[in-house]
Amino acid sequence: MAFFLQQVVNALQRGSFYALIALGYSMVYGVLMLFNFAHGDVFMVGAYIGFFVSSGLLALSAAGFLALPTGVTLALVLVLTLIISMFLNSFVGMLVERIGYRPLRGAPRASAAITGLMIGIILETGNLALLGAQRRSFPDLIPGETIQILGVSITPKKIVIVGVSLLLMFGLHFFVRRTKWGMAMRAMAYDFVVVPLMGISINTIALLTFALGSALAAAAGILYGVAYPVLDPYMGVLFGWKAFVAAIVGGRGSVLGAGLAGFLLGFIEIFVASYLPSTLRDLIAFSIILVILTFRPHGFFGEPYSAQLRL
Amino acid sequence: MSADQNLRQRLSGLWRRVRHWLRVQFGAVPLLGWLAGALVAVLLEMFLGTPLARLLGMSKPPVLFGFTVVLKTPAYIPSVLAYVLLIYILPVALVARFSIRPANRLAGGLMRTSTLLSVAVHLALLYATLHLWAGLSDYRLLVVRLMLIAVMLTLSLNVVNGYMGEFSCSHPGFMALGAYAASVFTIVLFAQDNTFGAPLLPAGLGPFIFPLGLILGGGLAAVGALLVAIPSFRTRGDYLAIISLAFMFIVKSLFENLEIVGGARGLGGQPDWAGLPIVFAWAVICVWTINNFVRSTMGKALNAVRDGELAADAMTVDTSRTKMVAFLFAAFWAGVAGGLFAHVLRYVNPGTFDLKKLAEVLAMVYLGGLNSVVGSIVGAVSYNLLSEALRPLELYKWIIIPLLLILVMIFRPTGMIAFREFDVVRLLQPKKPAPEVVIPGSVEPQAGG
Amino acid sequence: MALLSVHDMTHWFGGLQAVSGYNVAVEPGQIRGLIGPNGAGKTTVFNLITGRYKPTEGQILLDGQEITGLPPHKIASMGLARTFQNLRLWRHMTVLEHVKMARYSKITYGLAGAFFGTARRNREEAEIEARAFQLLELVGAVEWADQIVTNLPYGMQRRVELARALAIEPKVLFLDEPTAGMNPEELVQMMEIVRQVHQELDLAIFLIEHRMKVVMDLCERIQTLVFGQVIAEGTPEEIRNDPKVIEAYLGKEVMA
Repeated sequence: MAFFLQQVVNALQRGSFYALIALGYSMVYGVLMLFNFAHGDVFMVGAYIGFFVSSGLLALSAAGFLALPTGVTLALVLVLTLIISMFLNSFVGMLVERIGYRPLRGAPRASAAITGLMIGIILETGNLALLGAQRRSFPDLIPGETIQILGVSITPKKIVIVGVSLLLMFGLHFFVRRTKWGMAMRAMAYDFVVVPLMGISINTIALLTFALGSALAAAAGILYGVAYPVLDPYMGVLFGWKAFVAAIVGGRGSVLGAGLAGFLLGFIEIFVASYLPSTLRDLIAFSIILVILTFRPHGFFGEPYSAQLRL
Repeated sequence: MSADQNLRQRLSGLWRRVRHWLRVQFGAVPLLGWLAGALVAVLLEMFLGTPLARLLGMSKPPVLFGFTVVLKTPAYIPSVLAYVLLIYILPVALVARFSIRPANRLAGGLMRTSTLLSVAVHLALLYATLHLWAGLSDYRLLVVRLMLIAVMLTLSLNVVNGYMGEFSCSHPGFMALGAYAASVFTIVLFAQDNTFGAPLLPAGLGPFIFPLGLILGGGLAAVGALLVAIPSFRTRGDYLAIISLAFMFIVKSLFENLEIVGGARGLGGQPDWAGLPIVFAWAVICVWTINNFVRSTMGKALNAVRDGELAADAMTVDTSRTKMVAFLFAAFWAGVAGGLFAHVLRYVNPGTFDLKKLAEVLAMVYLGGLNSVVGSIVGAVSYNLLSEALRPLELYKWIIIPLLLILVMIFRPTGMIAFREFDVVRLLQPKKPAPEVVIPGSVEPQAGG
Repeated sequence: MALLSVHDMTHWFGGLQAVSGYNVAVEPGQIRGLIGPNGAGKTTVFNLITGRYKPTEGQILLDGQEITGLPPHKIASMGLARTFQNLRLWRHMTVLEHVKMARYSKITYGLAGAFFGTARRNREEAEIEARAFQLLELVGAVEWADQIVTNLPYGMQRRVELARALAIEPKVLFLDEPTAGMNPEELVQMMEIVRQVHQELDLAIFLIEHRMKVVMDLCERIQTLVFGQVIAEGTPEEIRNDPKVIEAYLGKEVMA
């Protein structure tokens, strides 16, 4: 029983990353009818930005600019890193939209998908070229003793990761449901053509969508770095694609769906890995997803309508 | 008029004259003439290549038209330019230009006798050129074979992404299935292997049974396609993209876990049967069958399904059957290409059939042009050449190539040569001489060839 | 026996009854019309008969054979062709390819022919092309044969759609507002083409139209559909004077 609960806790953590990244995919797909294949690499960029920001902040702290008890400093650094990196990464996302997707706004969506793939490759290679092949080690921003509750080991890390993720997800949900901009995004998800006729600029909404998605991806990147401290330029590839599939399973444009599906994927992975040889993890995870999609192709909360990747 | 405008006008005028001159001189060259020129160039390289290279200061002839040499040692640029000019450009141009009349006569004669004969002659010339060119170095042999395999892959993906208008991500998976099936087939039957034991058939039978192995690989790939198609064809929209993506990951993961074929370490020891003639032959058959298919009304039904499934239904087109046939057919060829790939490299491992492979094959299709046989050939060849040529740049290759593709997508979203029909008859026909054209502003009309 | 007969066809979209108790008997060679206010369900009737939807209740017989619930392409190949209210053409294909495509069900050369270019395939493709040219000449669009269909003027596109439907060699031809969006000149030409098609090919025509001139001039029998029910059926003269029809179009007050 304790083992099972332990896996649940681990799955929640892993699922948090998938959920945060899946949200970015889901939003872009919902609002712009676009598969943003560069998103996984934006996640990677966010992680690296977080690395540099947090390292910089820690250096500042060590140099005496932030003199507070250790626990508080690290918490402060974490919060600042999150805020700053999310802010910076949103610009990365907006840049990707501006350069890669906006020129292709009227083009067949398949061409935009290809562009996204290429941008992703450029981001990976750019990282490799600029920073070299040496892997970076993300600073440990949430140290802490393992607490035992009901035989389950919980570290502050896990609590913070899951907590921050849920907070961000609810924040996004609130934004999409309660603000005017969020309403504009939802409107565009329903009818792409009419919204600009109502005086709302597609370009602005597009930038906003990408900015939000990339900010969340940065948060995911930082939390990921805290949980699995090794960063490498290709970390976004497999992770991003899995999150993408999760987003689809969640349903087109559904924040709740993407979140749930992300957690589901985390659960599947952790549980498969704990009861079966870990090499089978991807195989089983994708097989399950394939089965889900066979019977419910539009995902948990998506509507059956979907346009084709038309020429 | 400012000096700047003046200059621009002069330059564009010059460019127009150059283009006009080229059209006048070379517009009437039939394909036969170009092939003849290429053959002469290659023969020239065979006999004079090394001495010429040495004369120009290089230790040996440049392997890939000098691109790699130039990028590694820029000092060689003049030598390379001279070499390329003397061995490739000039012979091809001169032979093509001065054989216009006999070449056109021959082309016309062949066409009149039999289209089949004309095709055979052209293919023979093409093959001879490739064979002799590749004979000069092992590297060239490898590049040419991989390029032909790339053509098969690109064309088969174009059937699904271009002609059918879907977005399929499962081609690396089909390749993998074909590669492994063909490899296991040949290794079990003909090779001494640790896992599979002694060969079961004499080696002499090999080259005759090899096609069977490839077809088996294609067949397995088609079965895989069935697994993708059944869930995704029932529904409309982007679902094929996602389901095919999941399929790709599953196949890769499957082979990584299948210890009997080596798991993640891969499977080696395939017999050396995928020589240039075999690969060339399969590529030709692939292009031929796919071209036949897409030009038939049955194949055009794919376009109808893509552009308006409802109307296609109402016009007696069995849309499910059409899509299924096309998808399985495409997967078959991807499987065959995979089998050939495994036998060219004589090694296969699951890591090859990953997202990078998907990105490459998608890039080739979209670069060359959707819904176009010519586009796929051009896309595959140019992508491969580019990839090989930029190899010395190592990492930066993967910034330049994606950038190039993004530019193509922005300016020609459906690819360089999209929606073009591959009319073999028109390709092989003798050409008429270029019409006489007067350039505005020039003193006298340019005379035709 | 009627060529095409529909018995008590009723269809529900969820909780909305779109068509109720629809009956029709189309005789060979007959030209019939279906009129009614917008939203009456006319196109739905067409969609039901041609197989796009399976009727909730009812029976449809073509030449004595039951076609209710068969897939659209099967029904089409059995001799039911249609055009669409808002022109469903294939934007990347040429005019000739459009007309050739409708001969799909007549193809017997199979996959072998498609992949390997057999003699049978070449022969059948030549026949298909010849027939396509014939039909294009019939509708007067043959000069546009090699053009991508989106390059054509609107009136020509409608003719191409007609030729495409005719390539099926239908027994019954369903025309869904064939003159929609046409100016008076194009309209007259279209009517003439429809008459010609009717005369030269042996088929029945079932027409949805809003323009009374077209319906009254062309049709032998007309049904009026309102809220999914036929409220009147008869000759053009009868329909023109039927009080229920007038009420449906102009409202009760006018009668008073």
